[in-house]
Amino acid sequence: MGNNEILALVAVAILLPALSAALCYLIRSTPTRKFIVLFTALVMFVVAGILTQQLIKSPNGKLTPTMNLDFVGWIIKFLDMVLMIYIIYTGVRLRKALIVTLASIQLIALVIFEVFGTVEEPKTSFVIDYLSLVMILLVSIIGPIISIFAMGYMKEHEHHLGLQKSRQPRFFMIIFVFLAAMNALVMTNNLSWMFFFWEVTTLCSFLLISHDGNTESVKNASRALWMNLVGGVAFVFAMIIIYNTTHTLAIDEIVGKGLVGLLPIALLCFAGFTKSAQFPFQSWLLGAMVAPTPVSALLHSSTMVKAGVYLIVRLVPAYAGTVLGTVVAVVGGFTFMAASAVAISQSNGKRVLAYSTIANLGLIICCAGIGNYVSLAAAVLLMIFHAVSKGLLFLCVGTIEQGIGSRDIEDMQGLMKRMPFTTVITVIGMISMLLPPFGVLITKWLTIESSTSLPLVMMFIILGSAFTVVFWSKWLGIILTMSYKPKHKIEHLTASVKGALSALFVGVLAASILIVPLFNNLIKPYLQSLGNVEDLPIGGSKGGIWITVGNAVFGGFASLLFFGIIFILMITIPIFLKRTKAESIKPPYLCGENINNDVRGLEFYSPAEKVEKVVVRNYYLGGIFGEKNLTPWLNFISGAIILIMFGAVIK
Amino acid sequence: MTDVIKDIILVVAAIIVAPIIGGILNGLDRKISARMQNRYGPPILQPFYDVLKLFGKERIAVNQTQMVYVLGYLFFAVASLGMLVLKQDLLMIMFVLAFSNISLVMGAMSVRSPYSKIGAQREIIQMMAYEPVLLLMVVGVFMSTNSFMIKSVFDLDKPLLYSLPLIFIAFIYVLTIKLRKSPFDFSTSHHGHQELIKGLTTEFSGPQLAIIEMTHWYDLVLLLGLITLFFAKPIWVGILIALVCYFLEMVIDNISARVTWKWMLKYTWIIGIGLALTNIIWLYLKNRA
Repeated sequence: MGNNEILALVAVAILLPALSAALCYLIRSTPTRKFIVLFTALVMFVVAGILTQQLIKSPNGKLTPTMNLDFVGWIIKFLDMVLMIYIIYTGVRLRKALIVTLASIQLIALVIFEVFGTVEEPKTSFVIDYLSLVMILLVSIIGPIISIFAMGYMKEHEHHLGLQKSRQPRFFMIIFVFLAAMNALVMTNNLSWMFFFWEVTTLCSFLLISHDGNTESVKNASRALWMNLVGGVAFVFAMIIIYNTTHTLAIDEIVGKGLVGLLPIALLCFAGFTKSAQFPFQSWLLGAMVAPTPVSALLHSSTMVKAGVYLIVRLVPAYAGTVLGTVVAVVGGFTFMAASAVAISQSNGKRVLAYSTIANLGLIICCAGIGNYVSLAAAVLLMIFHAVSKGLLFLCVGTIEQGIGSRDIEDMQGLMKRMPFTTVITVIGMISMLLPPFGVLITKWLTIESSTSLPLVMMFIILGSAFTVVFWSKWLGIILTMSYKPKHKIEHLTASVKGALSALFVGVLAASILIVPLFNNLIKPYLQSLGNVEDLPIGGSKGGIWITVGNAVFGGFASLLFFGIIFILMITIPIFLKRTKAESIKPPYLCGENINNDVRGLEFYSPAEKVEKVVVRNYYLGGIFGEKNLTPWLNFISGAIILIMFGAVIK
Repeated sequence: MTDVIKDIILVVAAIIVAPIIGGILNGLDRKISARMQNRYGPPILQPFYDVLKLFGKERIAVNQTQMVYVLGYLFFAVASLGMLVLKQDLLMIMFVLAFSNISLVMGAMSVRSPYSKIGAQREIIQMMAYEPVLLLMVVGVFMSTNSFMIKSVFDLDKPLLYSLPLIFIAFIYVLTIKLRKSPFDFSTSHHGHQELIKGLTTEFSGPQLAIIEMTHWYDLVLLLGLITLFFAKPIWVGILIALVCYFLEMVIDNISARVTWKWMLKYTWIIGIGLALTNIIWLYLKNRA
């Protein structure tokens, strides 16, 4: 394919979702919207596929479509101003001085820098390398699947709210603008364009979080807005400093040659921290769960928060091995530990998922900060595994919530009886976040093995891993709780919900089982592009990932063999379900005081023949891990670490 | 190809021999404990009689899925033992072992029974307490051998014990928790008449319980095998040390009373993690110099 064809592909990847957004908003008929969503999804899959094929074929491991269209730059500058003015207007409407101030600072800085200054735009506007490709695949595959899920979900959601007039056109418009902006953000090589798309995602997340329009959602949305605007301010100043020292805005040049000092890079990392909801900025992502579930799924898996870690991983060559790298690793590692600890005390399913997202983003950032080949492989792999698993889990919790009317973990006991299909998928999704041989654990293992040069960071990861086991296994245990039922009937779900859940479920399994080809085709070329090394210390072979130093094996794990064991266990489940006879079922032990020998064991006789209910609940260890006690301290410490970061890089 | 066949024979041998050793050690434990309490005690082969009898019992269950978790518990314990005899990645062995344990916890939680649920919750807290110490042990081994593969432990000239004395103590400390022995026997207990009934294993019976018992034997052999690593050359010294440690566990089991989980969490973290970290920091500084 020539330059123009690739440029056309890039244009389709960005402009098609944008066009679909406009169409969704303008054409208000439901069947048409369904068609648009499905059609866009299909085209996005195909475009991502062709881009993958082209990149693998390309000789130097990147695609750099060039164009001589100056007016595109001016359009983006113009849109940038419109965007900022709209955010200021939003701030005024919400009467939030903070939002107005932060957006005004950005607007003024941009006007001085871009309109009155003489900025020379980079010649190559787009660079698609393997890191971009991973993101494109996540955005263009998971994003559309979530929007397909949203078709079924939003209908039910609006029915539940009792809306007179559907707000779905607005909803799908923002979703598609979001996807377009994400695709553009990861493909562009122009820092000022990236900033524009960065702020578009900020605004989109504000609009989506506040979608239901009640007091709480508006409040949480404006918190998300101002926190991300703080990051935006850091981004603008980083951009200005970088241009004034190097006279270029081309990301590949900035990252490659170490031209700039550490301060602007630290500012960009800070912007990444806010976007990826690292402590002390975690509260915006926690608040974001008031939005309809597809929004949470989108924010947590392939878009928004992944933009932050994408930027930080993108910048790795600029700070690897420096003091900044070490502090970034500490920030990420601390957030991983802190978020996992607080998650133990949460009984709201969505909040547990949110804390787990924050923790995993922390782990990705931590890996980027450690900055050796093994940890970078772990970082990119975790971006993939986390996006797939977390996208699935949010959709599962949303489905469960619509099924049982609650998102509280304690209410999910006996879910298997009511929603066997969703339950099985949820359980596999959770196991994939926690246990070997699934991908997320493989990355955790890689991280520990690559972090031995930084004992403090290693300690954070080890403690965080222990906490992770606690909150996942508690939740899993509740979902798996069931009493005897002779036959399970699969619950009714709409086609779009069922289809999306199944697709992501297959994705979770495929990503983990195919870890070796995944590594060899996506991660390995990415690592090679960083340093032109022939012998990478990490490779995929013999059914797993192996770390080597010279000829000696340093660590490794044949994960494929273990999928064999899991597979055998899976086969035994239906056998035991069938073979168990009703006669051999006995009620749980209640000191011999069960009532009517009910096999569910719901009630028992207490002294004086009084009938008491059996209540079984999880431990939440609120005294130790309670959110209210811990959060101020954790915020304080993480704030201090960030101050240390800036203190260490300012000359 | 011969290597693969050799590996397979080694793993199969381990799978057959380990429960025999584990069972005999368990029988010895019961005998010696009985003598410490001035009882005569059962014959040394009693654990085998027990398990055989359990296999012959009626198959009753509380729900249909319990057996799956029990099998998961067994399979992954066997898998981690296999990884040990093949001298694989030590860190991954710890994770696989955790999977095995989680499987048992899920089995206990899958039943709507207050006793097994409380046992399971406590087991999770135990995991939270000892898991960091086990992982730190692995890191300590890495810092001494520069590799995560167990194979490299056998290539060392000096035994690990010399460079990891504090980590060794921390490991013995968490071993008591891992073996669910007193004072840390609060997720399940040997005697079914306490506030916990049998905790974690309350709702398992017959063949399920037999498999759980056998998995305990695999676990025991695996853990003693890990102790042996601290003195891998000559290996008989390591085995001797492991047996002495096991005897020590019996003594501790018999002379101490159960503590609370808060106490355990606090002291395991302070003592266990404290010791392990101290050791790691000195190795870190030594390696840098």
